[in-house]
Amino acid sequence: MKTSLKGLLLAAALFCVALGGLSCQAQAAEKYVVASDCTWPPFELLDENKQPTGYSVEFLKAVAKAAGFEVENRNIAWDGIFGGVATGQYDIVASSTTITDERKKQFDFSDPYFEIVQAVILPAGKSIKSLKELQGLKVGGQIATTGIFVVRDAKVGADIKEYDDVGLAIQDLVGGRIDAVICDEPVAKYYANKKQDYKGKIQLSLRSQEKEYFGFTIKKGRKDLLEKLNRGIKIVKENGTEAQLIKKWMGD
Amino acid sequence: MAETEEKQSAANIVLVTDGGSVPNPQEFRLINAWSLSLTLAIVSLFGLCLIWPEPYLRILLYLPDGIVVTFQITLMSICFAVPLGFLTGLGRISKNRFFKLIASTYVEIIRGIPLLVQLFYIYYALSRFFQISGITSAVVAISVCYGAYMGEVFRAGIAAIPRGQTEASRSLGFTRFQTMIYVILPQAMRTILPPVGNECIAMLKDTALVSIMAVPDIMQRARSFVGTTYLYFETYTVIALVYLVITLLLSKAVSIMEAKLNYYDTKSR
Repeated sequence: MKTSLKGLLLAAALFCVALGGLSCQAQAAEKYVVASDCTWPPFELLDENKQPTGYSVEFLKAVAKAAGFEVENRNIAWDGIFGGVATGQYDIVASSTTITDERKKQFDFSDPYFEIVQAVILPAGKSIKSLKELQGLKVGGQIATTGIFVVRDAKVGADIKEYDDVGLAIQDLVGGRIDAVICDEPVAKYYANKKQDYKGKIQLSLRSQEKEYFGFTIKKGRKDLLEKLNRGIKIVKENGTEAQLIKKWMGD
Repeated sequence: MAETEEKQSAANIVLVTDGGSVPNPQEFRLINAWSLSLTLAIVSLFGLCLIWPEPYLRILLYLPDGIVVTFQITLMSICFAVPLGFLTGLGRISKNRFFKLIASTYVEIIRGIPLLVQLFYIYYALSRFFQISGITSAVVAISVCYGAYMGEVFRAGIAAIPRGQTEASRSLGFTRFQTMIYVILPQAMRTILPPVGNECIAMLKDTALVSIMAVPDIMQRARSFVGTTYLYFETYTVIALVYLVITLLLSKAVSIMEAKLNYYDTKSR
């Protein structure tokens, strides 16, 4: 009697496992590869284990959970990040990419997931009131970012220096080789307030008027993925995850 | 005896170079590797610009100031690297143990550190102590790096001159300095020039690394162009062709110089 009960239980357990396996297979979530340039805190950075983390990365993870797909994060240099998504080396770019008209011609963007303005960082004690005052100054930024575009389009006659990542530009600002750095406002805040090395040496001086919106970038024409992303973003915004993430990454 | 020695020392020449190979100056046929590559490069570059002015011509016209910066860095680096290499080469074969040690240590240290790391080191790491502009850092880093490589080329070139030459010249009453200036160096020049020319060409190609220091050279121009247009294929095709045309022209210049130096050799053959 005892043995048969055991056998029955075992059979039931096996059945459950098999069923679980089957159902797992049935809803095998699709896995997408995500590229982030982890030199853009607090949106994308590397954690202690050298894994991508940050607001954009965690936001996308929440989106994936909500929309029922899986993600695999990779750290990709900014310089070629758009090229890789165009050639299909990865599916999604989650790297604080501002939705611009120029970029929209080549790529598809998800609905906006974050709103920012550009900010100019100056050495402590200096300040400017408008972009015009950058005339003749050496202004640094990360190559091919919207910050650089803003200064270039303003045509104020600034000497623009394009660095591989914004950290190097800020290092040069602290060293005194350049006069200003332009980047996304939360990034500027992060460097000016949260980095101990730079405390009291640099300050956020000017914010641009024009708002920019971040979207996840995907290859043109991937309707299914776009639909999933937008569905997920909607859920994440509504269910309070967004607020938690903002508090976690942008909170003072 | 002298002959075997000559053979031995010729075998000792080590060409420490990663430059493109210099065209053979004795190659007079119309179609050779050099003319073929140059024609292909120029035809494709201008062909692309004529057939699709948008975007190829736009990319090409975006580059001129970058080309100027690239040349500026290359020429300045050559001006410093060649004398530095010469001194290092002399130091390496010096009888004075102090100079020999200094020169050898310099070569060992610099040769063991990648140029990219040296650039980062001089520009970003040393900025804690003193600050030099991007272009100056580039020239310093490239000169120091290539000075070490060229030192080896000079050393090998001088060492390749048979000992008999020194002995003969010394026995005729030349001082060691005079021997070096009037007897050894003029002969060594012929072995040294092609690899030094190669190093200079390699140097021009390596200037592409300086874009990491926010120096607007050809490479950085390309990167910021790609950054606004996302035309990776088109832009880097143009950049590759531009670099190719420049290095092919330079390698021809080196080969002409080499032919001039070897004028009597070729005549007597």
